[in-house]
Amino acid sequence: MFPIHKNIIAGTVGLLIALSTGSVLASKDRFVVDLVNEPSSLDPHVQWNPDSYAVYRNVFDNLITRNNKGEIVPQIATSWKQVSDSVVEFQIRTDVLFHDGQKLTAEDVAYSVRRITDPKFGSPQLGQFDKITKAEVTTGNTVRLTTNGAYPALLAQLVKLSIVPKAVVEAVGKDAFNLKPIGSGPYMFQTWQRGVQVTLVRNEKYWGTKGPFPTAVFRAVPDAATRVANLQAGASDLAVTLNSDLVAPLKNAPKAKVLAEPTERVAYVRLNTTKPPFDNEKIRQAVALAIDKAALVDGILGGFDKPVGQMLTKAHAGWTPDLPAIPFDLKKAQALVKEAGPAAKLEIEMATSPVFDQRIVQAIQQMLVDAGLNVKINMSDMASYLKRAQGGPEVVPALSFGRWSCACLDADGVLFPLLHKGSPWSAYRNPKADVQLEAARQTLDSKKRIDAYRSVNQMVNQDVPLVPLYQSAAIYGAARGLDWQPTPDESLFLNRMTYKD
Amino acid sequence: MITLIFFVQRLTGDPTFLLVPETATQADIDALRNTLGLDRPLFVQYLSFLQQIASFDLGRSVVQNVPVSTIIASRLPYTLQLAAGALTVACGLGIPVGIVLALYRQSAAARMLAGLVFAAQSMPTFWSGIMLIMLFAVTLGWLPPSSVGGFENLIMPSVALGLLSMATFARITRTAILDELTRDYVRSARARGARTGRLLVRHLARNAAIPVITVAAIEISNLLAGAVIVETVFAWPGLGQVTVQSILSRDFMVVQGVVLMGAFVTIALNLLADILYSAVDPRIRLDGVRR
Repeated sequence: MFPIHKNIIAGTVGLLIALSTGSVLASKDRFVVDLVNEPSSLDPHVQWNPDSYAVYRNVFDNLITRNNKGEIVPQIATSWKQVSDSVVEFQIRTDVLFHDGQKLTAEDVAYSVRRITDPKFGSPQLGQFDKITKAEVTTGNTVRLTTNGAYPALLAQLVKLSIVPKAVVEAVGKDAFNLKPIGSGPYMFQTWQRGVQVTLVRNEKYWGTKGPFPTAVFRAVPDAATRVANLQAGASDLAVTLNSDLVAPLKNAPKAKVLAEPTERVAYVRLNTTKPPFDNEKIRQAVALAIDKAALVDGILGGFDKPVGQMLTKAHAGWTPDLPAIPFDLKKAQALVKEAGPAAKLEIEMATSPVFDQRIVQAIQQMLVDAGLNVKINMSDMASYLKRAQGGPEVVPALSFGRWSCACLDADGVLFPLLHKGSPWSAYRNPKADVQLEAARQTLDSKKRIDAYRSVNQMVNQDVPLVPLYQSAAIYGAARGLDWQPTPDESLFLNRMTYKD
Repeated sequence: MITLIFFVQRLTGDPTFLLVPETATQADIDALRNTLGLDRPLFVQYLSFLQQIASFDLGRSVVQNVPVSTIIASRLPYTLQLAAGALTVACGLGIPVGIVLALYRQSAAARMLAGLVFAAQSMPTFWSGIMLIMLFAVTLGWLPPSSVGGFENLIMPSVALGLLSMATFARITRTAILDELTRDYVRSARARGARTGRLLVRHLARNAAIPVITVAAIEISNLLAGAVIVETVFAWPGLGQVTVQSILSRDFMVVQGVVLMGAFVTIALNLLADILYSAVDPRIRLDGVRR
């Protein structure tokens, strides 16, 4: 029912747009972003999800950041130096003021690291930073971070570490800070109308590139068709999380346009290699051969996404540039299934959740049935899906569809959790792969890391614990006058936008 | 009821998995579960929950990190506005339509009207809602497409939601009036030469009001309980939306708070309906038993 509903809307939207006349344009004194939900929190050390990120990353500066090309560049840190395998020293800017007028110091940076890594604080983001064992100010504006052994993904993780003012946080406490956050970023928090919108105003004293809009409003608009309608009516300037069907009418819209960028999210099918029938390598290989990735991308996803032959994308550190992809070969898949005999006739459960695109899941089911397998879809809500997905080999469904994002653009955040036996996600047991994953995690030598991940990627293609499908695109709708480059990490920095009528 | 909600939620999932990043280790997950108190035995969690309720503490949202009472208090005014708007549309259209359908039930106009009522009730709101937006906001530009603000923001969601209950009101009103039309007092009034208008206002309205009030009480609780789809389509920040989001993210305390509040509202509305009966029909007050 759902895809049909979308198609009807898309078609009708197109028809009505053709008839549409002009209406009031939103003023660019006030830039309106339609998110899916309101932020869960504005304290950058508490909740993390795309809707929260979009807002609070404009309020706070991070230690380091990524430019539009994806390179890690200075922000609050001007430079950094690897003192030893497990120690990095950062030089901190001295010209940064928090929104309350107080100076940002090295102590604020060290405090921010200590706060988010304190287990008692209970940050859901702890898993991204818990390799950091110590954060201290050595001299005036130098901060020294010590990690538990060499940690190659440290910088990639620190891109997400926002700097909070120690004095304010300690004075007002966790709850009050979440309601009225004070950062040093290009926008200042103004109001939070719960369930409706968060309003930010430009920080006129910002040390870096100032924001182009005096006011920015982030609204919660859960229905994607409504986000599109808002753009068409000129009631918003940017809408996130759209799909190819929904943006089709925007391509010819008078006021709006489509922006898309491949992200670091990779869609995959995961096989539980410890349970029948997928304890049989031949049947696993049949799955990999039977899925026509190009058909999924072009036929269903509108061509915005990109088929991939590995779980990593070009944007990830550790990507294998020359990995041969498994081709689509239905005949060979059918032959392998036949060869496997009665084992291949077992009913295979394919787990999925409504947050994923069910058109894709159904298409994959059909492709596997064509290969001769007996696949049934089992849909459960995201909380139940995740509980099973992270339950270890005994509980992990035979087949599951998912999309992976570590929000770190590093191979370690993708391959280690999905494959290493120590991770709750893994339903794969291969000591050779574990050795490579551990080695890559413990060296700062990028050549060695690339080699280790190449061998892991080869094992994945040979052994098929996973079938990487496609690199998801982030699809946005934007006002015609907006000039903005979306990035693979789906950041939404207002001060990287420009606008002309 | 609240006990059922408590256990069903906890047996079907755990918010921790939705909160942590995908790279989290088992230790990270366990640590967070401990901080949130979700690693305690269910029985202990239940007792502490009852203890909280007894002291009027609805607990805290694990996703939004604010007290549940704050979330409900911030959403309730929007829910009330939308319910009032929808009820105005539903009664304002439904009752007159029901009267027309009853009094002129043989005419072609009544048949057409019945068709329209049928269509209004059959249209799914996710569709009628987006159609209203496309027509009045995108094409004509008369109304804001979504979100809250002034009175004009309330119009489309109220209509989309009210059209559904409108049909119910029309049907009940029609039945109630038809029922009364066959009674002796109506025939006597007609015999005395009372015209239809006078008949309606003086004689029929009060007698036919009882079933309509009953339905209104039920409809209001339905409207308050959450017009999830209308709220989602129009980005209207009511309780329905927050409830569904909280169920999906297993934000236990928020769901429990909303359910508890819903139970109280339903009881209060039923009580109010009972009191209204006696205001409309004095016989109910006198002997305590209707008719």
